[in-house]
Parts: sequence; C-alpha cells; structure tokens
Amino acid sequence: MQDVFNQFDLVLKAFWLTIQLFLLSGVCSLLLGVLLAGMRVGPVSVLRGAAAVYVTVIRNTPLLMIFIFVFVAAPRLDVNFDFLTKGVIALTIYTSAFVCEAIRSGINSVPLGQAEAARSIGLTFIGSMREVILPQAFRATMPPLASVLIALLKNTSVGAAFGLLEATARMRFFTNNNADDRMLIFLTFAAGYVVLVELLSFGASRLERKWRVAVR
Amino acid sequence: MTQSEQESGASATSMTLEPLIVLDGVNKWFGDLHVLRDINLTVGKGEVVVVIGPSGSGKSTLCRAINRLETIDQGSITLDGRALPQEGKALAALRAEVGMVFQSFNLFSHKTILENVTLGPIKVRGRSRVEAEKRGRALLDRVGVAHQADKYPAQLSGGQQQRVAIARALAMEPKAMLFDEPTSALDPEMIKEVLDVMVDLAERGMTMIVVTHEMGFARTAGNRVVFMADGAIVEENTPAQFFTNPESDRAKDFLGKILKH
Amino acid sequence: MRFTKTKAVLAGLTLAATAACGGNAGSDSGGGADVQVKKDAASAFPAGTRMKELADAGKITIGVKFDQPGLGFKGAADDAPSGFDVEMAKILAASLGIDAKNITWKETISDNREPFLQSGEVDLVLATYSITPERRKVVGQAGPYYLTGQQLLVKKGSAIKSVADIKGKEVCSVTGSTSLDNVEKKGARPRGFDTYSECRDQVLDGTVGAMTTDGSILLGYAAQNPDELEVVGEPFSEERYGVGYNKDRPEMCKWISDELKTSFDDGNWKKAFDATLGKSGAQAPQAPALDPCPTA
Repeated sequence: MQDVFNQFDLVLKAFWLTIQLFLLSGVCSLLLGVLLAGMRVGPVSVLRGAAAVYVTVIRNTPLLMIFIFVFVAAPRLDVNFDFLTKGVIALTIYTSAFVCEAIRSGINSVPLGQAEAARSIGLTFIGSMREVILPQAFRATMPPLASVLIALLKNTSVGAAFGLLEATARMRFFTNNNADDRMLIFLTFAAGYVVLVELLSFGASRLERKWRVAVR
Repeated sequence: MTQSEQESGASATSMTLEPLIVLDGVNKWFGDLHVLRDINLTVGKGEVVVVIGPSGSGKSTLCRAINRLETIDQGSITLDGRALPQEGKALAALRAEVGMVFQSFNLFSHKTILENVTLGPIKVRGRSRVEAEKRGRALLDRVGVAHQADKYPAQLSGGQQQRVAIARALAMEPKAMLFDEPTSALDPEMIKEVLDVMVDLAERGMTMIVVTHEMGFARTAGNRVVFMADGAIVEENTPAQFFTNPESDRAKDFLGKILKH
Repeated sequence: MRFTKTKAVLAGLTLAATAACGGNAGSDSGGGADVQVKKDAASAFPAGTRMKELADAGKITIGVKFDQPGLGFKGAADDAPSGFDVEMAKILAASLGIDAKNITWKETISDNREPFLQSGEVDLVLATYSITPERRKVVGQAGPYYLTGQQLLVKKGSAIKSVADIKGKEVCSVTGSTSLDNVEKKGARPRGFDTYSECRDQVLDGTVGAMTTDGSILLGYAAQNPDELEVVGEPFSEERYGVGYNKDRPEMCKWISDELKTSFDDGNWKKAFDATLGKSGAQAPQAPALDPCPTA
C-alpha cells in the first residue's frame, strides 16, 4: 500500500487516461449514436436498414471482440492508429449502438404531432430533428443514456489488456508488485471508479432535473 | 350530382380566381381501405374552402395530403402551378409556403410561445432573431396572446395554444393555410376565440382550406363548402346553397343529423 | 522400480510423439529428464507434513504457464504442458512417488499465482515465478532453480539494439508485469496485453517496437519465429525463478530445496534444461545457489 501512495502520481495518471478514454469515446459515441438514431427513424430506407444492421451486429458482439478486431485484426490489414485512438475507436463502435437505441427510444417518446408540426413549418428532416425532436428526445433519453455512459466508463478497463495503461492496468502493476496488499490496492482503485461513476450519475440527474423544470 | 356538374360547380366559384391549389384525380388507400377516391379540387387564391363530412370521410386525410403529411397513391397535387415534391429540401420549402393548424395544436413543448413563433422564420426563412421576434410579437398580439410570449405551451389554455399555432403558421407568411379540425379538441367556451381569429384571417384574404364541424364558420366565412363522404367529394356548393338546399341525399342526411339541435 | 521407470520413459516418448505430430515449435520439448519415480515415497516423510499427505494421495496439482514456449507451454492439440518449469515440476513430483500422469496441471497466469497457492487450488507453482520479498510475505518461494534477466524481443533489423534504445518507444509485455514496470522506469511507453502471444503479435505487425520479459521466455518466441524475430541486448534485470508453495506449510521448503539440490547434482536439472530451453541453442548455465529456507 505504501507503494501506491509513494507513486500516487502514477495512479492519477492512469485515472486521467481512463477519463480521457471516457470523454473522447463518450463524445464520439454520442455523435455517432445520434447519427445512427437519425438514420433509424429517417425517411431513407437504405440508411434505416444500414443503421438497424449496425445496431444489431454491434449490440450482440462482446466488447472484447471489438477490441481484438481494432487492436489485433485491423493492424494486419494495415489499418493502424496510436493506442489512444484505437481505444476510442473500439469503445465508440460499441457504445454508439447503445446510444442509438437509447436515443431512438427517446425519439419514439416524442409525440408524432411534434414532428408533423416541425415539418409543416418547412423544417427539413435534419432541421426538425435538431430543433424539435432531439431536444425533447434527450430528456426522455437521459436516464437510459446515463446508464450507457456509466457502462462506457467501466468498459474503458477492457483497454488494460490492449496496451492502454489506464486505471485497471495500473492496478495490476501494483498488485503484481505488492502481493501482500492486493485487497487494499484493489479497493483503492475500485473507490476511484466509484467516485467517477457517482460524479457521472450526479451530473446526469442534475441535467434531468433542470430539463424537467424547463418543461414543467 | 354527376362528375361534369361537379366540375362546373367548382369552376363556377374559382373561375374568376387564379388557381392556387389543384388536386387532380387523387387516390389513396390505407391497405384495403380506399380513403381518397378520385378527388378533383381546385382552390383559388383568396378563397376559403370549408370541408365538411362525417368522421372517417377522408377530409382530414385530404387536408394532410396537401402538404404531404400523407402521401398519395395516384393523381397529382400542385401548389401555385408546381407539383408537390417527393421529399427533401424542395418539399420542406413547399411546406413553408403552406401553413398548417392541427387539431391537437402541436406546439413545440420545449420552446416558449415566442420561440414557437420565431423558430420557422429564423431557421427556415433565415430571418434575424430581432426581426423574427418583432414580427412574432406582432402576430401574437394579433391573435391575442402577446402577454404569454415567454411561457411554455403547457402553461396555456387550449384556445390560447391554438391561437399561438395559427400565429406560428402565419409567421412563415404562407400562401395558403390548412386547418385540420382546429376547434375539435377545444372546450366549447374556447372555440369562439379561435374562430374569431380564423374569420379575421379570411377577411384579410388568406387562402384557406378548413376541415371543421363548425357550420357557423362555414356559413359566415366560407366561399365554398365541400362535402365529403366515404373518401369522395359528394357535393360542392356555396354555403348558402349547401345549407339551405343540399343536393345529395348524403348531405341532406348529414345536415339533418347535425342541425337538428 | 523397473516397471515405473519404463512407464516414465513411455510417458516421455508419448509426449515427444504428440509434440512432433502437432508440429508446434513451442511444444517440442517432450522427452525431458529421465526421472525415476520414487517408490514407497510416503514412508520417507514424517506424518503430518504436506509431503506425506501428497505422497499418500498419490496425486498433486501444479500451476504452470501454458503460454510460454520452452518454460510452460500447452498447444491447442497437446494433452499436457511442456517446458523447463514442467520438467522441474515432474522431478519434484517424482520424489513424492507421483508419476507424471498423476499430476494435474493447472494454468496460472501472473495475476493468480498467489491466490491459487493461498486457497490451496494448486500445491506448487512453477510458472516463471520470480522470487521477490513482497511475494515472500504472502507465499513461500523455494529456490531459485533458474536465473534469467529481462531482455528485448524485436523484429529483425529493428533500430532497437539494446535497452538504451527504448526511451520513448512503445514496448509491450503482460499487463501488470514487473518487466513492463521496469521498461516504464527506463523511459519506454509501456503497452500491457493479456498474454505474451498477443504482445508478440504487436511486435510482428509493427504496432510496438519491442516486447520485453525474461530472456528465457523471449528465446522461446524467437525460436518459434526465427526469420522475423530476434532477442537483442544484455539482460537488464535479474530474475530468480522459484517454486511457490503455501506459506502455511513451511516444511515444504526444505523438501523442495533438497530435491532441487539433488537435481543440480545428479544431472537431471541439466537434462531438463537441454530438453527444453536448450533447444534454442542455449548452453545450460551454472546451477544457481539456493536461498536458505526461512527458520520456522
């Protein structure tokens, strides 16, 4: 345990990588997820089908397999990036499918009349999505979206097995070097994750409350 | 009434007016259900056409088909000489030219009353916020809800919401307005405030297609009554003629039922 | 005596045959030392010792690596693991009168060696298990029976020639391993993977510049892929492989140490080395000096 406190900068650095992975893939997943959700509810049947296939395939694929694909298979096909980028790509591919479904359920909770009214004032499909449907859908989406993001935060730990020295990987260094203190080291790192997840849940519930006040 | 009589009747009222909305041989099915049967209808500029008929007669579908909230299976619909585009930007541009008022108001619930009225002008017409808000407030004043500008739709009564919806449509400076049973979801005491706004619009020369059960409005503000049953136009006439001397049995039956009270 | 000896040889032959058929360079370490299984071993140990219990039971569970060619490796088609650690484990088992076929091999990875020993899931661990003071706080470690040091495995012709060249370069090993910790301290960018073979793949496809761990392990991988991979530089750490045992049974230390000493002296240790790690061309080193057992 002494070892952990003596090298606490390494712990912080590792959690910072965890946070970077979370933030970058979180933003990318939201963007891609919104795009996919738009495709799924949109008027173009080819895009609808493509998005549906993507979501079905990715949601039914273990995250580990996607990591193996991005980190092991893709480099052999000469598709290679630096480690952080690969981590963000793998997490985004996976998470965006869940974001898509969360948002789609939110979109479906917005009454059809809202979309009709938006279109009837001349907004295009994208315009009515952006101005009318999505802002309302996000509200209904907040609770499921928060779960997806919490899962993402914890999923970053899969990167530990793929060259990413984030919190879980760093924990394994400490436990390997300090066989006598495994339990305490484990609890220390677990506490780090708990703090991050709690911050995330707190932020999500604040947003939810704020939005609920806005519409009453 | 025969096909030729129907056409001549229609032309009698719109002959002098430049045609704005033309439906030609429009058919639509919902599965096996034939909801629009060979609809031919021409609405001239500045004309107020009131569509009445029993529920399920296809009048709402007709109204929604004109700005393509419903697609049609056969025939054509043209607005100001241009055919209705399929999808995309061209269709959006056309919809901006045709205001629509819904039975259930459909105000944007996450936006304030003023934002509801300025969204279209800013995002679609590209007006500046200042300009859009100035005009928006003027329109809200015209429909009598100026003092509610900063509230959210859920804070307003049904009648107020519907008047805002009319203002929202007018903010786009449309060539024509479609009203799909605008008073059917309102409490009786609120119906008049909405109808007053519509009568005012009609008097200012707005081209209007109004699907309604309000016979009083049809009489006072309508130039023409279109009576529909089972997806087809059964009879068209001036309000005076239609209400005092309906030609078809279906219309007589319908009027008999609603005017008895 | 004669009978059991024949059986041991037969077992060795079978192993060699399996390895040959599999054609996997990593598993061609069969044959092994010509170890004689002790008869009536149980009577040699005082009652109440763990050795006596194991000898009476006639079977033992030993944790080894399954993914390190030359040390502890089990190919997909193999029935039993092979390698230097495995041969040393057989020598220890034989002294308890336990035949190789009565050994249950359990795969241990770096992370679960201590928990497996503490919970009694395995009786012994011979899994490239470096002796460290921290580990000795929670488990017993007798030995060492082999000395090695950390080296680098690179693609042939790499700009990385020694540990001095790894500053700022991406170097992979197993997540959480001491080796990765060491290169991080030397300025490399550490990339941890779950297994050595995944790490090796990263070297092969050029994603990372080098793989690092004990030279003995790297030699095994270089031998598997001699056209593409090579081990470079002098060892830059000292690793002392020990035999892990449950700390609650301290009597095991003297037994293990005695048997290791015997194998050093009677040539079985060298035979084990020659049949496994020695196949890469390496000469058997001097047998290491054993640590004294803790005084109870």
